[in-house]
Amino acid sequence: MPTMLASLNPGWVLIIAGIASLFIRVRVVRQVVTIAAPLMALLLLVFATQNTDLATADMMGLKLVLYKVDSLNFIFSLAFLIAAVLNGIYALHSDDRIQDGAALFYAGAAVAATLAGDLMTLFVFWELTAISSVFLILRAQTREAYFAAMRYLGVQVLSGVLLLAGIAYVLKSRGNLSLEAFTDLSDPGVLFIFIAFGIKAAFPLLHNWLQDAYPKATVVGSVVLSVYTTKLAVYALARMFPGQEHLIWIGATMTVFPVFFAVIENDLRRVLSYSINNQVGFMVCGVGVGTPLALNGVAAHAFADIFFKGLLMMSMGAVLYRTGTVKASQLGGLHRSMPWTTVFCIIGAMSISAFPLFSAFVTKSMIISEVATAGYAVIFLMLMFASAGVLEHSGIKIPYYAFFGHDSGIRVKEAPFNMLLAMGIAAGLSIFLGLPALVPGFGHEWLYNLLPYREEAMGYSHHHLFSFSHILTQFQLLVLAIFAFVLLKRIHAYPPEKRGVILDSDWTYRKLGYGLVVWAGTVWGKAGPAMSAAFFRVTGRAYNWIEAAFSPRGELARGGVLNGAMAIWTAALLGIVLLLSFMAVS
Amino acid sequence: MSDPTDNGRDDTGRFVKRAAESVHKLNTPSEEGIHPLSQILFGWTHTKGIGNIIFWVLLALSAIMLSIDFFFPRQDYLKFANYAGFYGIWGFVCFSFAVIMGWPLGHLLRRDENYYGDASGPPYGVDPDAPMADEATAPHHSSEGDA
Repeated sequence: MPTMLASLNPGWVLIIAGIASLFIRVRVVRQVVTIAAPLMALLLLVFATQNTDLATADMMGLKLVLYKVDSLNFIFSLAFLIAAVLNGIYALHSDDRIQDGAALFYAGAAVAATLAGDLMTLFVFWELTAISSVFLILRAQTREAYFAAMRYLGVQVLSGVLLLAGIAYVLKSRGNLSLEAFTDLSDPGVLFIFIAFGIKAAFPLLHNWLQDAYPKATVVGSVVLSVYTTKLAVYALARMFPGQEHLIWIGATMTVFPVFFAVIENDLRRVLSYSINNQVGFMVCGVGVGTPLALNGVAAHAFADIFFKGLLMMSMGAVLYRTGTVKASQLGGLHRSMPWTTVFCIIGAMSISAFPLFSAFVTKSMIISEVATAGYAVIFLMLMFASAGVLEHSGIKIPYYAFFGHDSGIRVKEAPFNMLLAMGIAAGLSIFLGLPALVPGFGHEWLYNLLPYREEAMGYSHHHLFSFSHILTQFQLLVLAIFAFVLLKRIHAYPPEKRGVILDSDWTYRKLGYGLVVWAGTVWGKAGPAMSAAFFRVTGRAYNWIEAAFSPRGELARGGVLNGAMAIWTAALLGIVLLLSFMAVS
Repeated sequence: MSDPTDNGRDDTGRFVKRAAESVHKLNTPSEEGIHPLSQILFGWTHTKGIGNIIFWVLLALSAIMLSIDFFFPRQDYLKFANYAGFYGIWGFVCFSFAVIMGWPLGHLLRRDENYYGDASGPPYGVDPDAPMADEATAPHHSSEGDA
């Protein structure tokens, strides 16, 4: 490959294409660019030399590594770029320069951040992901999207600011900006970076920007958003904090709590946003375990999740596009008019639920297996709970309430062909990744060959993955959980889908915090004038008193209480003080 | 490409035409808006009593899944996972718990759709023919008791 191309970060190709898309008015040309640019970037990535600094720069005495590929960032970047191609296909029905440009720019920033070889380069593209992605929310052009976009931007920029502060600390203590893993969270700089990553990964209580913003984006925007930000954070955690034990508990909590919210949520794109939280939790937990097989599980699960979660988002996007809503209480029976979309959604649902022969079965199991091997019994139980939970909200609820269940009577056209094509490719990948290796390198082995610790992955594949015990236990969990669903429906114990918003931790700033600010403003509005009046009264009286004493018409000028003797005594005392002062100084 | 035969008839062209007509027919919804493929793939879901059939099949399948454990003991790293039926029972209990918790949590956390004062319709770019594009006029039902 020519030297110039070899040093061209694939992410920059997408960024340049994204900027160009903003100015390309001819729809066909722009559509060619949105698909050709990620394909070109894919070629650059696949042929890149690994473990070498491919592009460097010097800035203020610091060496920046702008482009470096290794086995960990390769698999994340590969998934990002394939997803960019699918997103380009999914968006072909629309004619929206801003959306096309923002989607490409955002994908490019995420890829460039993943392929960065130092902290400062990572920070720059980290921020660019925030700035570019907000347009995918704003583009929805609704009131709620506008406010959600502003909150989203605030949280994302906060993450960037914390990252920059952490980098400054780390630069001072380490003397370089390398991406070496951190071990000690007690260093303030390291803690800042940890929290910055945690915000983007949507750690518990730092998570609500995701459920707030993603469901309010455009049809295409939600699909694009579901791919990059959280997975970039997972990559950053895997790179900088492998084996950090706090992450095990944080990740396990992330897998569990969204389950309860997703059960009662009516907006199906918001259900999928909780599902993102839940699946990223598995990855964060795997980073915390930190063994080679667990990190393989993290990379593999991130790769698979990008496609099955993208597929589910695409199917709900297709429903939204055709019907105008994704509220479970308003949908139902859509399999009658959207059978292809139904099939693809079911494939996505089976993949995320980790049915054998579907992708999550071969990826998530590595993480759970390592948790069990390390003896984390409680964490293991939490992850198994979350596995049953994901079956509930993404495996059953999404397809059931949209396509089956109560017939809403809505009859619409099937999704546009481009959407079906993108969903079909994502569905094909979700099945392909879960297949046994009928010939070497086929099915899951294709993915396992790309993992950072290939030997461990192959060992797991040969000895455990498709063992009778593993398949049986997975089927036991899933079949009994599905039976629970049917039973609860039969005895009317399943909570009905109702319209409404579900309060989450964002209530603290959207209602409580906002209420406090409004209250403070009201109090100030009333107390302010009173305080100003009191201030002016006091200062007015003081002025009158001073004027009465010292002005040319005042008491002192007229003699008044201070008669001539007093004046002489005052002058004498001043003279004595001056004399003593001179004596002390000399 | 057409392939005229001895009798002068363009059989290949007729075959392609028939195939194209079949594909078109398969992708043309009926007047009621029902997609033909839906009947092929999901017609069985409209069978009378399908709910009962699914229930009993799943019950039988669950029993079989649990009973297999008595014949094939496991060697998991965590001891409690080796008990017969652990995965199935844990799956059943966890699923049921998550769903049942939906009742109190729904009462506790659900608020009016415009609770935050910014409720809006669907985003820009949905199909202009979308029936629910105007949410204010959209039908509203509770799914409780669906078959």
